[in-house]
Amino acid sequence: MKARPSYPFGPAALVLMVLAIISGIAIALTPPPKKNATLTFWTFAKPHYESYLKAVPAFEKAHPGVTVDLQLVANNGLAQRLQAAFQADLDVPDICEIEISSAGSFFRGPVKNIGFVDLTDRLKSEGLLDRMVESRFSPYTSRGRIFGLPHDVHPVMFAYRRDIMEKAGIDVNSIKTWDDFIRVGQKLTIPQKRYMLEMSSTGTDQLEAFLFQRDGGYFDAQGNLIFDNDVAAKTLQWYVPLVAKNSKTRIGNTLASSYGSVIAQGMLNDYFVCLVAPDWRTKGMEMDIAGIGGKMALMPLPAAVPGGRRTSTWGGTMLGITKHGQHQDLAWEFAKHLYLNDKDLAARFEGTNILPPVRSAWQEAPFKERRPYWSGQALGEKYAALAPDVPAQYSSPFISQAKSKLGEALIASVQYYERNGENGFDAFVRKTLKDRANEVRRQIARNPY
Amino acid sequence: MAPVAKAAPPRSRPGFFNRPQNWAPYVFLSPYLILFLIFGAYPIIKSVSLSLYATNGPKDAVFIGFGNYRFLMGDADFRTAVWNTLVYTFWSVVLQLPASLGLALLLNQKWVRAREFFRLAFFSSNLLGQVFVGVLFSVLYQPQYGLFNKFLSGITNGGIPIDTKWLNDPNLVMPALVLTSLWMYAGFNMIYFLAALQAVDQDLYEAAQVDGANSVQQFFAVTLPGIRPVATFVLVTSTLGALQLFELPYLLLGNSAGPNNAGLTIVMYLFNNGFQSGDLGYASAIGWTLALGMLVISLIQVRLTGAAKGSAA
Repeated sequence: MKARPSYPFGPAALVLMVLAIISGIAIALTPPPKKNATLTFWTFAKPHYESYLKAVPAFEKAHPGVTVDLQLVANNGLAQRLQAAFQADLDVPDICEIEISSAGSFFRGPVKNIGFVDLTDRLKSEGLLDRMVESRFSPYTSRGRIFGLPHDVHPVMFAYRRDIMEKAGIDVNSIKTWDDFIRVGQKLTIPQKRYMLEMSSTGTDQLEAFLFQRDGGYFDAQGNLIFDNDVAAKTLQWYVPLVAKNSKTRIGNTLASSYGSVIAQGMLNDYFVCLVAPDWRTKGMEMDIAGIGGKMALMPLPAAVPGGRRTSTWGGTMLGITKHGQHQDLAWEFAKHLYLNDKDLAARFEGTNILPPVRSAWQEAPFKERRPYWSGQALGEKYAALAPDVPAQYSSPFISQAKSKLGEALIASVQYYERNGENGFDAFVRKTLKDRANEVRRQIARNPY
Repeated sequence: MAPVAKAAPPRSRPGFFNRPQNWAPYVFLSPYLILFLIFGAYPIIKSVSLSLYATNGPKDAVFIGFGNYRFLMGDADFRTAVWNTLVYTFWSVVLQLPASLGLALLLNQKWVRAREFFRLAFFSSNLLGQVFVGVLFSVLYQPQYGLFNKFLSGITNGGIPIDTKWLNDPNLVMPALVLTSLWMYAGFNMIYFLAALQAVDQDLYEAAQVDGANSVQQFFAVTLPGIRPVATFVLVTSTLGALQLFELPYLLLGNSAGPNNAGLTIVMYLFNNGFQSGDLGYASAIGWTLALGMLVISLIQVRLTGAAKGSAA
């Protein structure tokens, strides 16, 4: 009698094995989903994404057969995904928006191996450098070549509580210099209850803006590290007494490292009189603290010296075209469609309050519209008036290390000032900046390029 | 005629299902082994080689021998990361393990009512995941509006200011991290201790009582030796987990290392170099240094607790 074949590990294992084989074959035979889109576009900002969605149909209509796949990718993940995509040469988008603080990390290595298309010649031949605020190309320039189209200008103003200022009998038009502002600030500041200005003693966001205002920064146009130069030392010496705990001139404090609702809440509850307000931040205020609409207003930054610059810059986004893409000319057309169309830019400004770098767009009606929230001021006009003065900021693959080290220097200087006051402060600030900068220089020196 | 010996039937080859089974383990292991070779062994070997290169961007690598390791030894940020990681590990182990054991001892008492409820309640913080906990505590720690400050300021009558910046003050970042992880993991480790306590032979307690041992003496003479293998396991795994800390500070501090790099851990530094700066060579060197450090610490721990010789049993 023929023995019945038996599976040695029992029926359950047999069933599992059969299922594994069937599912394996099914997966192997299933074709991967076809990518029909001609261009893939990654952005990290939801307001950008939403406005671009509206702009895509017109582009597709003008280019029959072309489709655009817009993808919203979380900001924290986008730079890392793109780095990984470049390294693996897989799933690289055709076009991508990068936040300014991440942009420098893509400029490592020889220029020829940077993952983005060099836009310099296109920009020059099409006259776009003249149409846009030129300083905004600087963060996306590496070794003289431009790899990104700027999305914005991000001039900085102060957003302030008009009602508090008026109640105290202060005419903001009389505040021309930082000395004027600090004098007013000392009157309005009540320790632990109210501060004239949101300023951090541990983070560099505000310090950085005031450093740029004074033509300082992390790197110069040639890529040299400069945050330990005389401008930086003087700016830090000026800044620290404004935030140090036992300082007589303290007018600043902060509540969180974020820029969002907690700070806005502080504005609502009279904890802050003024916030450092790049254009993008004003939309957040309009949404987070809509209730104080009409009590808010904007003023230019006080100048460091009489007649000096009344603005700075904070934040930014670039659009880059990847070398991986098969349709680089088409991607360039799409980039121009998104970034250079005055009407679309005006509509986008209404939704984001972000001033585009294209000067001709500023003549559109939404930029001149008076906003009840801002006490009837024309927000667009105010920012546009300051845009030509926005300082250049230069990037580097080592920008994040430089930012971190400037933060360390700030904290060390605040701690020193709180212990020793002005005694030896100048020498300490210069030494701590030099030491921190040298740590970054050691990192840079490792780079064989 | 001599009888013809009946020829033995030809020996048939065993069928598929009747073959000897000595190949079977390899077949069953092969899917795992193939995946391990591709996604485990290869990256491990590749990372050793990468650690010997200066990598710049996606396409460039220059061989520099042990240059990355040499630079690492003098790197101030790496020293900060190592110090922070060790401080966190020390405090999280020193606070977590006694807290976990204390909770387990409490819930092992028969007189405690609703023990199952408390067991679930203490353990449930671990079910949330580090992402959720990071977001939750970043709100709790908010100055001026956070519950943590409102509570502390309330009970100290303003002694602790309501605008205390737990996540913005370099001196407070580490305590904030340790407290958060204590909340998250004390319940998790408690389950191990509880299981170990329930396995301790009750006769030993009765014998100790007969010998006149009080409850403290019983704890040191009976309970602790009884749970020693589990305690060693919890100690080693907690230490290894703490040494690999990444998500919690990364989320709690808003995707940064916090002020003055006060929340910078070794793995975070590795991540920043490898995936934000694109320097995979240096990141690999950091990874291997960490792996070596963890191996040494684990061996010391196992040696000190006597688990290697099986003396715990």
